[in-house]
Order: sequence, then structure tokens, then C-alpha cells
Amino acid sequence: MLFYKIKNLYQLVYTIALKNIKVKYKNSVLGYMWSLLHPLAYLIIFIFVFSQAFANIERYPLYALVGLIFWTYFNNSMNQIINSIINNASIIKTIALPNILFPLSAAFAELVTMLLSLIPFFSLMLFFGLQITWHTALVVPAIFVYAIFTIGIGTLMGTFNVFFRDIGILWNTLSPALFYFTPIAYLSNLIPEKYQAFVQANPLYHYMTLFRDILFYNQMPSSRTIIITCLMAFVTFTVGLFMFNRYKKGFVSNL
Amino acid sequence: MNEDFVISVRDLYVNFWISGTGVNSFKDAVMLFGRQRALQKKQVLKGLNLDIKKGECFALMGKNGSGKSTLLRTLAGIITPEKGSIQIRGTVAPLLAIGAGLEHELSGYDNIRIMGTLIGLRGKELKESVQTIKNFSELSHDDLSMQIKRYSAGMMARLAFSISVCRIPDILIVDEALSVGDQGFQEKCAHRINEMKAAGTTIIYVSHSLTELKRICTRGACLENGRIAKIGPIDEVGMFYEQSFQ
Repeated sequence: MLFYKIKNLYQLVYTIALKNIKVKYKNSVLGYMWSLLHPLAYLIIFIFVFSQAFANIERYPLYALVGLIFWTYFNNSMNQIINSIINNASIIKTIALPNILFPLSAAFAELVTMLLSLIPFFSLMLFFGLQITWHTALVVPAIFVYAIFTIGIGTLMGTFNVFFRDIGILWNTLSPALFYFTPIAYLSNLIPEKYQAFVQANPLYHYMTLFRDILFYNQMPSSRTIIITCLMAFVTFTVGLFMFNRYKKGFVSNL
Repeated sequence: MNEDFVISVRDLYVNFWISGTGVNSFKDAVMLFGRQRALQKKQVLKGLNLDIKKGECFALMGKNGSGKSTLLRTLAGIITPEKGSIQIRGTVAPLLAIGAGLEHELSGYDNIRIMGTLIGLRGKELKESVQTIKNFSELSHDDLSMQIKRYSAGMMARLAFSISVCRIPDILIVDEALSVGDQGFQEKCAHRINEMKAAGTTIIYVSHSLTELKRICTRGACLENGRIAKIGPIDEVGMFYEQSFQ
């Protein structure tokens, strides 16, 4: 019974995710290329603007690229997951389906897009001086943990966004700020010592550290980073699903 | 549960959880977090009892806002009731809003596959349904290959309706969905409903047109303010419904 439920949910998630991907690029000439061009445009700007300022960082383009790929994934996923329930209002109101399907398929679509973008980006990373060691394989579990975190926080915000559309607007307002607050283009020690507590309070800081350790420094992430990132993923995922289940009964009357 | 009944509803309560709008509701929710519920409760169905027999064609009447659509959605499993029990035997196909869920950027074929999966078709059944839907909707291969945003309203309705009725369910729930399409298609819809009826499908039908209800249904109920005000043979309930406007 449980197996059947999971298989059924997977088929639904797959179908809706595929639809999301198709619709996203349907009317554009470059289609899927856009998901590569977007981070690349930022990368070029960063190289122009910061490579002098961060001359002390060896292989700066690689440093920035790693940050940009995983920021873009987070940002895109959040945009999609937060609005996934509202965007599917007409389906939710007319067909009986497990509604968790909508945040999950939004997350799945973005994950697939990101994984596909990793193929060309890996070549680019090699060009910028990525060394492939056995540490590189750690990127797989790291992406998994990061995806869980993204789904958790997105589902949490998406649930409340049904009742208070302010949440979606709030995210749109805050995401550029979060982008600059997260050490993507710069080293975190650029921020004065007395503000380090704020830096550490940003969950994305820890995920960036995780990916940089693996792909830039070619080292095993510290156990502190591993514990923090896994714990945050677990907590946000649990809270996100809990809140979703608790408030889903109000979806139909608020959509 | 009695063997003859496919739907048994006992003491059903359904609430809407409504968030207020504007700055105040958001402020209150944040400021009073833990002290006051952020969502206001509104009772829509208030202790409703209903039994529907297998193969019956049941009419549901009532003024706007009396809870008809909410009842249908609850029966279809879209809304979770607050209290009470619902027992349903068999598969339910809800026809609540024609065209809901169709993705306008994608082709007719894509939409058949997506909507088909959403209503529970899988694998071989899904593949076969494409042909059934194509035949029933009378849309050509060219039409179905086209993005549906280029469809006329009637073509859209044909596609949506055809997907919804492509397999014969145990229970069909119809919410004023048949006033679409041209005359030919409307007749086809009525014919399909008769086919389902003949195949033993139980039908729950909501409409404001008494003639239409009398043509299809034998028994019915009239809702008033979240409760059943009258239940019985269609003529009696129809009379009761008409009198409520005088």
C-alpha cells in the first residue's frame, strides 16, 4: 500500500515536473540554454568587477562559479516552490491529489535543470582549474542534502504564501539582499570579525562552505559544516512538511 | 454501511479556514502569534447526512452559496471534512470546472497525457485513452498537435470534457459543466452521461436548470445554508426549490 502510494506520487511528480520544464522553455528560442546563460552572465560580471579586488584568491573564476551554480539553483527553486501551490490552484480545487505533489515537482524540475547544467559547468570548472580527486564525488551527497534543505524551506514558505501572499513578495524583496549577504563572489573573511555571527546565521553560508570545500579546496568538509548542513536540512524538511500537512486543509478555501 | 449505498455521509461538518486580507490580518497573525488563530473559521456544511444508492442519478439544488460545490468537493476528496464520516464505494470522477488544469502553452496531446495522469490513468490505459479522447472530442490530429492556447472556447471544452469522461467511473460528479460546446457536442455529452448511467455509474448532478435535472435525475436534495432542507423524489424537491424563491 505504501509502495503503491510512493510509486503513484512519483509518477505524478515526474509528470508535473516535466510539464514545468516544458512550459518554462516553450516559447523561448534558446530554451534550456537560458539556465546556463543566467549564471554565466553573472560570472562574467564577477570576473570583470572582482578579479582585481580578489587577486589573492587563486582561480577566482572557479571560486565564483561554484557559488553561482548553487545560488542559482536555490534561488530558482525557491521562486518555483513558494508559488507552486498558488500556481496550481485550478488543479487543487478540482482534482483530489496529494497536494505535496506541487512543491515536490517544482523542486524536482529545478533539481533536474541544475543537474543538467552541471555537465557543461563541470567542463568549465575543469578549464578554470578544478582538480578531480576522490573528494569530488562528495558533491553527490552534498547536492542531496542541499536539495532537502531547499524543499523544506520552500515548502514552509509556500504553505504560508497561500494564506499571506506577503511571503512571496517578501522573498522577492529579500532574495537580492541574501545574494549579496552570502559569500558567493567574495571570501567570507571580507566581512569584519564583529559581524561574523550574522554571517554564520545565514544557512546558505554553510552550504556554500560545503560546496567550496568539495569543489574548490578539494578537501573533506569539516565535521562542523557537515553536521550543520545535515541538521538544517533535516529540521527545515521536517518543519516544512509538518506545517504543510497542518495547514493544507485551508488551501482550497484560500486559493 | 448498507450494501445498496455507494455514498454514505453522516453528520458532515466542513469549515473554511479564511485568512483575512490586508495589513491588519498579517500584523495580527504575527503580533498575536500563539494567542489568536491566524485563520478565521467559517462553517460551510453543518451536520449533513446523505445516502445515495448505486446507479442512482441524484440532483443537488440550492441557492448560490448554499454549499453545493463544497459538498461535491468534499465527496470528491478535494476538501477534508472537519467532522463526520464519508463512505464512498468505487472510483469518483469529478467534473467540477471544465478546463481546470489544462496547460495552455502545451499541445492537446501533452495535455491529454498530463491530465490523464492526474486523474489516475497509467501506462497502457493512458496510451489507449489518447485514441478514445481523440475520437470523442472529434478534434483532428492537427488540432491536438497545436498549443491549446490557440483553441476556441468550444474546442477547449471538448478536449477537457473528453478527458474527464474517457473512462467510466463508479461515481460521476457534475457541477454545471455541460453548458459548453456547440449543440452537437452538448447532445454528445448528454448521450455519454446516459451511457454511463446504463453502465451502472452513480451520478450526482448540480444544476440550476430544473428541466435538465428532471430529464436526468430521479431523486434529489435541496441545500439551504449548509444543511439539507429537503430530500426526496425529484418533482417534490424541485417544487420545494422553486417555492424558496417566492
